[in-house]
Amino acid sequence: MTVLTSTTALAQAPSILDVGDGVVLPILLKVALVLGLFFVVPLVGGYLEHKVMGRMQNRRGPVEAGPFGSLQLVADGIKFIQKEDIIPRAADKPMFALAPGLALVPALLVFLVIPLGPGVFAVDLELGLFYALAITSISVLGILLGGWASANKFSLIGGLRAGAQLIAYELPLIITAITVAVMAGTLSLVGIVEAQANFTLPGLEGFNLWFVFPQIVGFAIFFVAAMAELSRPPFDMPIGDSELVFGYMTEYTGIKFAMFLLTEYAGMITMSALMVVLFLGGWQILPGVATPGCEGAAGIMSCDPIGIAISVLVTLAKIMGLVFLMVWARVAYPRLREDQLQRISWLVLVPLSLANLAFVTILTVVL
Amino acid sequence: MTGLDVVFVLVGLLTAAGAVLTVTSKNLVHAALALAVTLAGIAGVFLVLHADFLALVQLVVYVGAVAVLFLFGLMLTRAPIGREALDSQNRGLALAVSGGLFVVLSTLIVLAFGDVRVDAMTGPGIDVIGIAIFAVWVLPFELLSMLLLAALIGAIVLARREDGESGEEAEVTRIEVGDPPINESDGPPAEVAGDGQAELPAGSGGGGQA
Amino acid sequence: MAQTSLPGTGLLKGLAVTVKHLFKRPATLMYPYERNELAPRTRGVIALMDENCTVCMLCARECPDWCIYIDSHKETVPPAKEGGRARTRNVLDRFAIDFSLCMYCGICVEVCPFDALWWSPEFEYSEYTMDALLHEKDKLREWADTVPPPPALDEGAEAPAEVTEAIAKAEKELEAAAQKEADKAAAAEAATTEAKAGGSGPKKADEPKVAAGEIDQETYDALIAEGKSERIARSKAKAAYVKKEKARLKAEADAGGGDAEAAPTPKAADIKVEAGQIDQETYDALIAEGKTERMARAKAKAAWVKKEKARLAAEAESAAGAGAPAGEEAEPPSPTDAAGSDQAPSTDAPAEEPAATRKLGDVHVEGTGEIDQETYDALIAEGKSERIARAKAKAAWVKKAKQAKLDEEGGA
Ligand code: SF4
Ligand code: SF4
Repeated sequence: MTVLTSTTALAQAPSILDVGDGVVLPILLKVALVLGLFFVVPLVGGYLEHKVMGRMQNRRGPVEAGPFGSLQLVADGIKFIQKEDIIPRAADKPMFALAPGLALVPALLVFLVIPLGPGVFAVDLELGLFYALAITSISVLGILLGGWASANKFSLIGGLRAGAQLIAYELPLIITAITVAVMAGTLSLVGIVEAQANFTLPGLEGFNLWFVFPQIVGFAIFFVAAMAELSRPPFDMPIGDSELVFGYMTEYTGIKFAMFLLTEYAGMITMSALMVVLFLGGWQILPGVATPGCEGAAGIMSCDPIGIAISVLVTLAKIMGLVFLMVWARVAYPRLREDQLQRISWLVLVPLSLANLAFVTILTVVL
Repeated sequence: MTGLDVVFVLVGLLTAAGAVLTVTSKNLVHAALALAVTLAGIAGVFLVLHADFLALVQLVVYVGAVAVLFLFGLMLTRAPIGREALDSQNRGLALAVSGGLFVVLSTLIVLAFGDVRVDAMTGPGIDVIGIAIFAVWVLPFELLSMLLLAALIGAIVLARREDGESGEEAEVTRIEVGDPPINESDGPPAEVAGDGQAELPAGSGGGGQA
Repeated sequence: MAQTSLPGTGLLKGLAVTVKHLFKRPATLMYPYERNELAPRTRGVIALMDENCTVCMLCARECPDWCIYIDSHKETVPPAKEGGRARTRNVLDRFAIDFSLCMYCGICVEVCPFDALWWSPEFEYSEYTMDALLHEKDKLREWADTVPPPPALDEGAEAPAEVTEAIAKAEKELEAAAQKEADKAAAAEAATTEAKAGGSGPKKADEPKVAAGEIDQETYDALIAEGKSERIARSKAKAAYVKKEKARLKAEADAGGGDAEAAPTPKAADIKVEAGQIDQETYDALIAEGKTERMARAKAKAAWVKKEKARLAAEAESAAGAGAPAGEEAEPPSPTDAAGSDQAPSTDAPAEEPAATRKLGDVHVEGTGEIDQETYDALIAEGKSERIARAKAKAAWVKKAKQAKLDEEGGA
């Protein structure tokens, strides 16, 4: 265990929001950070999707609401709130009402551990990566319940498809995450970023490498699995509108529908953020480049305010880049059939990720 | 009483309420959801006891997988998922079993950990757990995983065989993306072309391609 | 084929295509701010020229949705000649189309035998209630102003058969007329001054022969400014040039030959004014009223044409009045000359009738197929069809010939 892994001490990094001696102020600040992330960044991602998708389809995308249509999603949200909240007569009312919340809350909770920069996170759990994956797996419950409670065939089938898909793609996702954890020697998200800052190949000392370079296969698996986890096109069989109307969301209207939508966009952000942390070196600008105003490992780990600001911007830019990739794939590819979907996961991604894990583990132990 | 105690009590109550609801609910899906709440509550209890790794495992395995599997099974099979009454007429037996289990377990726990102060406990770090599983207890662990694997394969084999079937799959001709069209003269294997010819009226066979 | 390429190239191709489009200009037309030029035959709304409608009810009967509502009453027209039969005529009271039912099949437009229904490209007439989509005569008439001219022919295209035919005929007739004029002039030479008569004949004959190569810059500019395509503007401007030139030559000829014969006094309807310009005053007023830009433009154009006609008529009248003492004879008392009305009697007929009432019927003149060029031109200028104009002109010629005979007899 000399070269391929870092052997950094796993001390949990403190958050810059831990100000003063009190308990209340840091908690308020952290809640504000998480809520701000949850409500703003997904909207930016959604706007990016609208615009990019529009331009790729020779349209303009939103133009009317706000400058260059940037407030379109806000306007949509207001519209959703005003809409009538319809609950089908045959629906299981408490379940029907509960489901969107059950899907939304995990998406919110994941933001707790996402590090945007040195110290810019709510909490750096020792098990951050595991926490993020465990929490996201709960969303399935909400989707299944929503599909069942709607008392609608389309919804039920959509819910089942979503459930099957989420289970199928969670496997390669988690296995790939484990691979990265093995390379980094830690499950803490901040620790993984630091591990990438310290990760070099023999002969290239002083030039750190992100995990995406040795782990390009893992990155591809994670990216595909993440898109499938989010039911993003081309993996949107659960809501395939040509056959299922809108899948498990068919009967949902107004604010509840908006919650499902927000879950999807927030999921896009959290998955992208996870990929940034796991593979793209977190808040480092480029491999081997130190952030101005920072020092520590590879010159990115402890920063003055300017360095922190730069780091946060870099992270957000990387997240948006990944969102762009997702949108790009969405525009370019047609929807996969259900059997193709399952085959890709079980026959391609799972064996591939297992082989990848075995390879990396052996390499790590041998070297 | 510290804040942690309050949280512990609340989580415990939630867990208990979920458990009661699980057995009293007349709706299977509601029961399954209540079970999920119970399992999540147990994860909460672990968390309060500083066993964060265990809590997350509980969450990902029981809530994310087992409860979802239950719901999945309920929805896929034709189980009575409506509001029909569900009664297997085994209440007495069930009461006896669960009562006995409760007595045995609680006695065991009191005997084993009766004097240990809760606030002295901090959960083991993952490094400790990792060493325990993969170094000290590695043989039982591997045995367990073999058992699970065998069960998994057995389940698949059982599930795939239907009544009157040998379990072997019939030969199916699949058409994949990128396959040449079947009636193209140079593309497909000879037998397929032959089949096509047999079905077509005389005169419209391969000669038509010339 | 897919088999020969590496696996995954298809995926990359998909990405390449989409990213290429990312940097293309979007095809979006920002509609309320930008408008594209609609094709002249756009099926926007159905417009009604109610002057042309004879209440034949064909449209209402053919409409598959029965969404055309027509009310009318009969009026008795006093006999044209004494002792004749009184005729009845349908007068349109109500003409409404329910656009909430209409399916824009165009059958009504197709079937109308009197060119009373037209397609207009106007399409912004959505309403908040279905009832409000039932549009009455007035509204439909307003839309008629927005009907664009038919599209220009492709460059180098053959003119339609009926047009070439009509031109050939007109030329022949004009030659004949010139001949006649020359004869007349020769006859008149003996009685009156020589110089003017000599001048009037050839000039009249020259009148329509205007080289069509040039364009009317004014019209052209106006059309381009209106946003018309270059092609349309040019062809219109050409037409405008030809027309103007003709008008100029005619005016010259008329002024010159004023007392050689009765100068044909131009009336508002006779004067063709190219409809290229708009009346700014009207336009502003309509815009201020909240009309759509297209509607306002159409109306303003109509207003401009009317004004221009009036102005030209006044000018020509004053010119004729100065030149010709015989003005009273030339001023026909016909008040019925509403533009485009088929019922309007031939312009010359009423002027001559009082004089010839008694004896005209007795005189027999063989209709040899000749026509009265003057009448013909006037009717064509009024926008009558070639067929009608010819028929009327023939009738006018016969009448004139009779008159001439009568005069001759009276003289003898
Ligand atoms: S377009 Fe067709 S449906 Fe509409 S009014 Fe004319 S005939 Fe009737
Ligand atoms: S078909 Fe033409 S002329 Fe006859 S009623 Fe209809 S609009 Fe009038």
